[in-house]
Amino acid sequence: MLISCNKLKSHIKNSSDIDFLNIWNIFTIRTAEVEDVRIVGNTFDGVVVAEIKECEDHPDSDHLHILKVDCGDAELIQVVCGAPNVRVGLKTAYVKVGGHIDGMEIKSRPLRGVMSSGMCCSGRELAISDNHDGIMDLPYEWENGRDVKEYLPIEDIIVEIDNKSLTNRPDLWGHYGIAREICAITNHELLPLDIEEIKNDKEDLDIKINDSNLCYRYTGLKIDNIKNNKTPLDMQIFLYYVGMRSISLLVDLTNYLMLELGQPMHAFDSRVVKNIEVGLANDGDTYTTLDGVERKLTSDMLMIKNGDKYFGVAGVMGGLDSEILEDTTSVFLESATFNAGSIRRTAVKLGLRTEASARYEKSLDPNMTDLALLRLVYLLRKENPDMVIASNLTDVYPNKLDVKEILLDKKTLKVYMGLVLTDEQVVTILEALGFKVEVLEDVYKVVVPTNRATKDISIKEDLIEEIARIYGLENIEPTPLKLELSTKEHENVFTEEYQVKKLLADKYDMNEVHSYIWFDTNLLNELNVVKNNVKLLGKETNNILRDDMSFSLLNIVKENFKNYNNFKIFEIGTVIKNNQNNRILSIILADEEKNLEKVYNEAKSIVKYLFKSLKNLDISLTNNINEKDYYDDNLGKIIYVNDNKIGEINVLNRTCTNKLAKKKCVVTIDIDFDKYINISKLDVLAKDVSKYPVVTLDYTIKINDSNYQDLNELLNEFKSKLIKKRELLGVYENKYTIRYILGSDNKTLEQKDIQTFKDRFLIHIENAGLFIEN
Amino acid sequence: MEEKLLNLKEKLSTELSVATKEADVLNIKSMYVGKKSEIQDILSSLKDMSVDDKRKYGSLINNTKKEMEEMVNKKLEELENKTTVTFDDTLDYDVNIGSLHPITIVAKEVTDILKRMGFTIVSGPEMESDYYNFEALNIPKDHPARDMQDTYYLDNGMLLRTQTSDNQVHAMEKYGAPLRVCAPGRTFRNEDIDACHENTFFQLEGMVIDEGISIGNLMYVMQQVLSEVLKQEVKVRLRPGFFPFTEPSYEMDINCTICGGKGCPTCKNSGWIELIPGGMVHPNVLKAGGIDPEKYNGFAFGIGLTRLAMMKYKISDIRVLNSGDIRYLEQFKIN
Repeated sequence: MLISCNKLKSHIKNSSDIDFLNIWNIFTIRTAEVEDVRIVGNTFDGVVVAEIKECEDHPDSDHLHILKVDCGDAELIQVVCGAPNVRVGLKTAYVKVGGHIDGMEIKSRPLRGVMSSGMCCSGRELAISDNHDGIMDLPYEWENGRDVKEYLPIEDIIVEIDNKSLTNRPDLWGHYGIAREICAITNHELLPLDIEEIKNDKEDLDIKINDSNLCYRYTGLKIDNIKNNKTPLDMQIFLYYVGMRSISLLVDLTNYLMLELGQPMHAFDSRVVKNIEVGLANDGDTYTTLDGVERKLTSDMLMIKNGDKYFGVAGVMGGLDSEILEDTTSVFLESATFNAGSIRRTAVKLGLRTEASARYEKSLDPNMTDLALLRLVYLLRKENPDMVIASNLTDVYPNKLDVKEILLDKKTLKVYMGLVLTDEQVVTILEALGFKVEVLEDVYKVVVPTNRATKDISIKEDLIEEIARIYGLENIEPTPLKLELSTKEHENVFTEEYQVKKLLADKYDMNEVHSYIWFDTNLLNELNVVKNNVKLLGKETNNILRDDMSFSLLNIVKENFKNYNNFKIFEIGTVIKNNQNNRILSIILADEEKNLEKVYNEAKSIVKYLFKSLKNLDISLTNNINEKDYYDDNLGKIIYVNDNKIGEINVLNRTCTNKLAKKKCVVTIDIDFDKYINISKLDVLAKDVSKYPVVTLDYTIKINDSNYQDLNELLNEFKSKLIKKRELLGVYENKYTIRYILGSDNKTLEQKDIQTFKDRFLIHIENAGLFIEN
Repeated sequence: MEEKLLNLKEKLSTELSVATKEADVLNIKSMYVGKKSEIQDILSSLKDMSVDDKRKYGSLINNTKKEMEEMVNKKLEELENKTTVTFDDTLDYDVNIGSLHPITIVAKEVTDILKRMGFTIVSGPEMESDYYNFEALNIPKDHPARDMQDTYYLDNGMLLRTQTSDNQVHAMEKYGAPLRVCAPGRTFRNEDIDACHENTFFQLEGMVIDEGISIGNLMYVMQQVLSEVLKQEVKVRLRPGFFPFTEPSYEMDINCTICGGKGCPTCKNSGWIELIPGGMVHPNVLKAGGIDPEKYNGFAFGIGLTRLAMMKYKISDIRVLNSGDIRYLEQFKIN
């Protein structure tokens, strides 16, 4: 929202004490964020009031005129001007020779052979309006030769306040509210608004509200005999500076009041107004709004109706048929308050956010509709002294919103502030903001004005906010929390995730990546994979939530294959399975196809190491019968810990892999991290080390037509009290070298003990049809 | 006799000086100081000498033998310590170290700081119910605050959480008061992606519930986290904000570290970055968490972890964070 400091000054007593260029840094930390402060009207100088005394056609041009103007000097000055509205007697803005516009010095020079000194200006050339139809038309009373800046509020400071930071402050959507804040911050007095009182001695207008929960108040007034519909220049400049187009006095005044008080208003040509009814639309009806667009209506949209026909979308935009026309002399003025949620829904549905709807959505104070009307009458009267009030100020206001009372106990205030404020400090702050305060022994009885009560202020904490911000947040001392001696760890998810990440990066040289919770649609199409899972509403692509963590990382794999032949990445993220959140650790090993065996075995050892290192637990693997057809059918393992499935190792099938990159392999590990967290570490119980020496025996066993798993099972079946440890030393072709470490806790082994072991082992192996190599 | 002994020593010295192998030295050893060596013979002949000669030569002969033994042992030691293998000791190999995501590093740092202040870490679901994301946080349907956040709604009636504040009521329900928790996590908003906007980003929620908590407590914790994480002088400002779940509400801004406050796309040319919104927990939220607002109060804040990481590492394009591009991510070595 744009704010004019000239306008603010008009509402504040002794405003010249305030530094309006620098107050906004303080405003930002007291009230709302200021995004921009800029000075306007300083781009020109030497522009004076000048009267056209003579006007002739230029002999060599079909549109230029040769003017003689009186700019206060002894002699008339000759200017060539191309504007269509030149005429003798017109007073306009004239830049003297030596004056500047936009940094450019204005000189004397011939124009098509005729000498021209200085320049007559349009509003746009002076950057005080967007009017470029002709040169400015200034009031005849203004004295020739006087600087226009003496008559018009051209130099101003324009401030942009972040709308988002005003979301909860309906009272700040007009200059008068901002002025009230500035007064509270700087300890100044806010001036009352001039209004015209109306004697209600005429007829009421026919106004009806169908649902008082949707329209809280509707105030109407009819005025006749409006002859002057020309907006004064100072108001035009103000409107231009704060981003509004000047249209006509009546329309401009409704906008002016919205910008001043925050109350949106509407002026209808009263020739078409029969009776006003505020009610809901019928489903499927259409209505053409003022911008010429035909809108489809639904039954939850609040409409203004006139003689059973739609007349405007309540709080959003009026219609074409009630527009103020050039010959309008009689108006019906609307000043109303609507339900914020209803207006918001309608505006969103119609895709039509207007200045009015933006304000109504904030929950405006219904108690200002009449004030806004009376203020408008006052301003209109200035330009139309002979206008006639043609109706009663008709006010339909079924449920009057009253002031609210809140008790603020001094103890709570002290807790929040961390310090004690005097009663006087509290009262000064609250009263400056429009509250009334009664000081009791332990509490303040605070009356909340209705412009703050619609939603912003309803509990004592809201009052504390008001006091704290005006007191100054920078005056509150940052205070450490009291240290508690016992702090119990509630959850260890983050810590365990970090441990795993650190291990994978540290030990295995992996890179952690972050991805999206949805599948990449392009990837699904490319790999020809169909996924059915929870979907994002209103999105056509990237809209299916992932149910397979590793698979969802494949577009990252694809991208990295462009730069690397082999890499290892991981992420801990969420997948959605059976409508439930599930944390998954995904590890992806990507390499050249020829290294598949190495990479596949590395995947197994990574999982084994992870559990051994961080949980002190052994894993077991079984073959995976894969339901997902993008993974290889033959390779793939299910990972078990304590006999519970905790994850999978998979190999992306060759068709999919080839689509990512040629001659590559992709091995994926997915570990259910929700389960991982719940597995407790196996406690270490110290065992004494045997003081007797151990004996090492190595066997190389040759196996045909079977694999290590079979051998492993065979070896597991062989039991002996002497076995301290068994390990796989190495594999060469189909020969597996096994090492046994034998020993006893009670004695040094004798030759016969060892011989017995050897004999039994030989028989065990030979019974299985295998033999031991020398 | 003296000359004889001296000669013996010299001969030994000469032979040792040319010996290069341990075996040669051992041969020399047995030849010169072994059982059948010359010095041994001389020593044996001592018993046949006159008393005068014994007195005259006894210790000389013994000392000479000792000296000769030392010479041999010294040579043996020398040979043992001499490295026999020669190699290029100037070779230098690269070491491979993986990387953690910058968000992980920053989250660890922030949680470590908060842990020292007695916070414990909790976590919440990314797919969340309307209740915990909005309703319980004093954001009823039709509240304009829902407009501020473009929410990803799902076809199963759930949504992707728009903020880590969903942890507030979860934590209060699970652990009650007093409470001091923080919750880092992924959040989602339906935004078009560009250099400054992402639809998937990280926040960290902090919450303290206790008796007698002040606005000053909130300020202290927010400031402490920022100054420690960024490890640089940062200009900070606190200003009123508006969030339905806190009252009063505040925004803590820091001077943009990317442009130094001059204005750039990251700070939307304002020179300031909104980094930590926070405030005193709204009584309605306490009630939703089953906590008596007459007895307890507290504060909550949310740190934009993604923004913080960008500020800390001067990352100017947010898109790299979710790109998975190892070339970029590998520079964030573990720390």
